[in-house]
Amino acid sequence: MWSPFHPLHLVLGLIVWAAWFVAMYGGLSVVCSVAPPAPALGARTWINAALLALTAVITALLLIQGWRCWRASAPAGEGSPNQRFIGRVAAGAYLLTAVSTLMIGLPVIVLPPCL
Amino acid sequence: MTDHINPRNEELHQRFEAVWGKLPGWGTLAAVNHTTIGVRFMVTGMAFFLFGGLLAMLMRTQLALPGQDIIGPEVYNQLFTMHGTVMMFLFAIPVLEGLAMYLVPKMLGSRDLVFPRISSLGYYCYLFGGLIIVFSLALGIAPSSGWFMYTPLTDATYSPGRGPDFWLLGITFVEISAISAGVELVVSILRSRASGMSLGKMPIFCWYILGMSLMIIFGFPPLVLASILLELERAAGMVFFSVAGGGDPLLWQHLFWMFGHPEVYILFLPAAGIVSTLIPVFAGRPLVGYRWIVLSIILMGFISFGLWVHHMFTVGIPQLAQAFFSVASMLVAVPTAIQLFAWLATLWTGRVVYNLPMLWIFGFLVVFVCGGLTGVMLALVPFNWQVHDTHFVVAHMHYVLVGGMLFPLIAGFYYWLPHFSGRMPSERFGRWGFWLTFGGFNLTFLLMHLTGLLGMPRRIYTYEAGLGWDWLNLLSSVGGFVMAMGVAMLIVDFALHFRFGRRAGENPWHADTLEWATTMPASSYNFVSLPDIRSRHPLWDDPQLPHSIAAGEHGLADIDHIRRETWGTDAVTGEVREILHLPSNSWLPLQAALLIALLCISLLLRIYPLALFATIAALLILLRWSWHNGAHPRAAPVTGNEPAAPSLHSRTCDGPGLWGMVVTLMANGTLYASLLFGWFYLWTAAPQWSVPEEGPIALWPLLASGLLLSTAALPYRSALAELRMGGDRRLQSRLWTAAGLGLGHVALLLWVLLGASLAPQTLAHDAVLCVMLIYLLLHSGLAVILTALQALRVRCGYVGRKLPYEPVVLWPFWLYTLGVFWLGFVAFILLPMAWGDA
Repeated sequence: MWSPFHPLHLVLGLIVWAAWFVAMYGGLSVVCSVAPPAPALGARTWINAALLALTAVITALLLIQGWRCWRASAPAGEGSPNQRFIGRVAAGAYLLTAVSTLMIGLPVIVLPPCL
Repeated sequence: MTDHINPRNEELHQRFEAVWGKLPGWGTLAAVNHTTIGVRFMVTGMAFFLFGGLLAMLMRTQLALPGQDIIGPEVYNQLFTMHGTVMMFLFAIPVLEGLAMYLVPKMLGSRDLVFPRISSLGYYCYLFGGLIIVFSLALGIAPSSGWFMYTPLTDATYSPGRGPDFWLLGITFVEISAISAGVELVVSILRSRASGMSLGKMPIFCWYILGMSLMIIFGFPPLVLASILLELERAAGMVFFSVAGGGDPLLWQHLFWMFGHPEVYILFLPAAGIVSTLIPVFAGRPLVGYRWIVLSIILMGFISFGLWVHHMFTVGIPQLAQAFFSVASMLVAVPTAIQLFAWLATLWTGRVVYNLPMLWIFGFLVVFVCGGLTGVMLALVPFNWQVHDTHFVVAHMHYVLVGGMLFPLIAGFYYWLPHFSGRMPSERFGRWGFWLTFGGFNLTFLLMHLTGLLGMPRRIYTYEAGLGWDWLNLLSSVGGFVMAMGVAMLIVDFALHFRFGRRAGENPWHADTLEWATTMPASSYNFVSLPDIRSRHPLWDDPQLPHSIAAGEHGLADIDHIRRETWGTDAVTGEVREILHLPSNSWLPLQAALLIALLCISLLLRIYPLALFATIAALLILLRWSWHNGAHPRAAPVTGNEPAAPSLHSRTCDGPGLWGMVVTLMANGTLYASLLFGWFYLWTAAPQWSVPEEGPIALWPLLASGLLLSTAALPYRSALAELRMGGDRRLQSRLWTAAGLGLGHVALLLWVLLGASLAPQTLAHDAVLCVMLIYLLLHSGLAVILTALQALRVRCGYVGRKLPYEPVVLWPFWLYTLGVFWLGFVAFILLPMAWGDA
């Protein structure tokens, strides 16, 4: 499964992204429902910090996995053409998923959580 | 008929036709072959399209001038509701699924889809469900709350008639069809390709259909659940969406749009697949950026599930949450743009032949890009607030759906027309049809953007003069009728070409994919022999391939065994793993669909004893269906001269049934996850959520029933382990033990449910618990029945050491049943106790 050529890599990054997205939206909703931070704090709240940290960690993980797939599927690598196909597409999926994660997560820097 | 079949191989083709062909006369209703079913889906879908278009014409007539009273408000409400419903559920998805069902096996070099009877069941469910919905309009009691059926407008208080019931039951019925087709297509694409056709060599259209089908698997269950909950609220008075009992109408919106937004991409993906198939053919070169396009399909399949809240920007969601969805909505333009640039690059570097299908492709490029750009505008929260529920949104939606789906679909119809008829379309009629449709469409909907920006709300049946909307509405209506003339021209062209069209030669567009290696019109078995595939462009590499296939020079050309056979291949490499034997013509799908229709109608009429009868009868039919499998005499009985390497799939521990079970459970799991979402959503967000003072469910008996279920799985598991090792010692008794223990669990769970002090008509908390318990009961009950059936099959000799397949297929269902029980126990019982909320 952890071979960079495993077809699960085609979607693994996006599954992680989906779980991260649910955690961001669901976590924010629960916190705003149960213990909303004071509005006067603006974006400088613990929940913003936690969401930003989660975003950073997930982005980094996705980039690392993308690099692994890309390196393994280089033309001089050990994989068959079919494996290289999977590795290349997976690398692209990880990269673009990382970009998506970062883009969607960045608003936590400027927007208050519960207004 | 094209000339692949000649006197030398005619006898072989006749023998194949005898095995694969339809029954004569009324027997055609028992056909399960993908070619027949695919065409039926498309023809029925187009009939619903014309009906939906007629409703649109009535609406445009009403809106042409201010202050008109041709159609009253109640009928107008029914018209726009039914127009949206028919176009989205009865036209767009089924017609695309039909096209996919028709083409996918041919493109993959296969003889049929892997679950032909499910294809047939899906078609009849779609037909009957669609007729039930449409019939409501004839009765004058059609739903009138808009195609997204928002609560509380659709609850029993504000919609006391039967209109919403028609929608909820009919659409759920139709969705059985969509999900079954989704499962079928996923498994067929992954497990029944031509030998050697690895993922990287798969036709790009099949990648798109794989994406679409998986999106259906995950996208439709939230709406199925929402429909069930709303129907329970309307018919049984249970509380889910009513604020007073602790429900929340916004839960409906969430569940609806979790389906509704991916739905747009479910429609776009196959249409884009048509574009990606046609452009290389007419540019005379391979598609630029095949890998990039595969990547964009995968990205689109996921990111489109993260956009649903952009339909709900005005309901009072925190700004930060809106920002997540706003950015995600803009990001989905990236994979769309990747495809667009790949298409442009292919055209740029090719030698483009500008004929009829390409005209529609160019129309698509123009209209869809405009629709995509207004989509990015709508992703911006402030702009979205300004134009929310105006004609601007209606115009955007039509640009995306007509541009993104209808135009490529018609391009595809023109392209594959020789496949259906063996004849070519008329260029002259076709061009008239295109320009009338294209011009009329833009006149209607380009101006509608302005009407919306000037503030005209959607769904109003008339308006006052002098608001600046008069001339825009008049021109929109004129455009609508011009477009209708264009569609009429297309119909005339399609109809006449069957009689007057020029006969199509072999591979008339010089295409590269395998569907053009069949005869035209296509035979019921597609290929008399199954070729090895070593590139993405088999017909460009070997233009003689159709002849060698027809001559029986490739694999599986033997038909003396009178089984319907095709290759079962590895999902990644495409190497042959087994021979799939497929069911022949069967009346069971029609019988099952008729009984499900009876169930639907009896629920509509609220004749519950009849509903119970229909349910039991349908279950019996479906069990009979499963009985006619594997080594049963009507399927593939054991003989002395069976193929050994590769062997028949029912003699192995793998095969499409196992994959189908897993994919079906993915859809089922999504439904369960939606129920969990609803539970947590109401718990945290419902304005008047309340819980009873004491937990209404007896904890220890519930725990005991769970332990009994877990114990029941053990003998099943040990029997399975031995089967996998090649033994079948005490197989039957172990299966009976599993069924018996499971029955004990069911009895205890039923006792817990009946003894619980639930008040589902008063509290949303209890209503959700009630649904959860019924869900668990249904699964446990089914696991018991199917296990008992396996034990009987062991006794009859249909399951055993050399026939281990079916218990292997059933095992994921046991695991799933166990999983949802314990997950439910934690999420619905333990977690609230730990939180101190119940």
